[in-house]
Amino acid sequence: MTGDLAETVARLSATSRRAYQNPYEAIAWPEALDRRQWFTLPRFVSLYGTPTWEAMTEDEQKVLSFWEAVNFYSLNIHGEKALMAGLAARLYRPGMEAVARYLHHFLDEENKHSVWFGTFCTRYGGKVYPDRKVAFPQEHAEGEEDFLFFAKVSIFEEIVDRYNLAMARDERLVPVARQINANHHAEEVRHLVFGRRIVEELWRQGVERWPDEVVDGIRAHLAAYVTATWREYYNPDVYRDAGLAEPWAVARDAWAHESTQAHRDEITRFALRPLAAAGMVVP
Amino acid sequence: MTPPEVRDALRSWIRAHNPEVPEDEPADDTPIIDRRYLTSLQVADLLLFVEELRQAPLDPSGLRPGTFRTIDAIHDAFFPS
Repeated sequence: MTGDLAETVARLSATSRRAYQNPYEAIAWPEALDRRQWFTLPRFVSLYGTPTWEAMTEDEQKVLSFWEAVNFYSLNIHGEKALMAGLAARLYRPGMEAVARYLHHFLDEENKHSVWFGTFCTRYGGKVYPDRKVAFPQEHAEGEEDFLFFAKVSIFEEIVDRYNLAMARDERLVPVARQINANHHAEEVRHLVFGRRIVEELWRQGVERWPDEVVDGIRAHLAAYVTATWREYYNPDVYRDAGLAEPWAVARDAWAHESTQAHRDEITRFALRPLAAAGMVVP
Repeated sequence: MTPPEVRDALRSWIRAHNPEVPEDEPADDTPIIDRRYLTSLQVADLLLFVEELRQAPLDPSGLRPGTFRTIDAIHDAFFPS
């Protein structure tokens, strides 16, 4: 481990201890919520800018923004489940001892985030949207699996944080949605710093010994991961719950629309900046 | 849709998402995961396509890689006769 990563682990661990919070007291949960309010900022709703969006009344758009929030929080729950499993598997594993003290905080904080997301989804939406991902077994070069794990965590969290940051500050959003986004952002900032450092470290260790086909495979896999991550933001279940007909066609058309493509490109460029700077992905 | 039409639709989807698949593939029993014609990162997208073909959502809990090993396997899992 480089001195830079060691210093990061020590600093982030100290901050996590100082900022330690009870997840059951961090959010003020209303007894019930009128869905005709903004739960997701309009420009972050997956249909924003499409003909379907333009044809909706403002109340319909607000109800859609509610189900979009349920989807966004569901995606986070599924991402955090995989993340927690991966972090737990790496705790005190040979080669990971030096970061173990921070992995404890990372795990703890991700679990708290899932409490917030799960509470919102089940209390106000009556459900967590199901995860459609299925993992296939795959052979990896030495160090490749750890690198891919942390690189994908980093990409997922960088995208999510763009949403959190915008929605933590905008007073159009109902307070509970603002609080969830603000609290998540406050802790994710540390995870993002850790993610960038450990990804740099694992890349530095691996790229010196991985053959070209492994490096090319990693770049292709991360590019496919970005696409797969975004696809989940266009969920037919959401459109069905918001009362839209032909939900699969709505999802397909929204994905292909130039305004949603521009939205994804803008956020992806930002999210991939740390990895692109190190040559891990081709921007 | 008839079973052959469903299989052809699945074949077309796989070919559209993997331009490197040879022209005469995949057959109904081609091991599409082993040949890397279908990756784990494409499964969620494929499931949405399957849902649209069925015009009904499906329960993704409990899905295993074996469900996707061939076009026949996908057909049998999601389009039982």
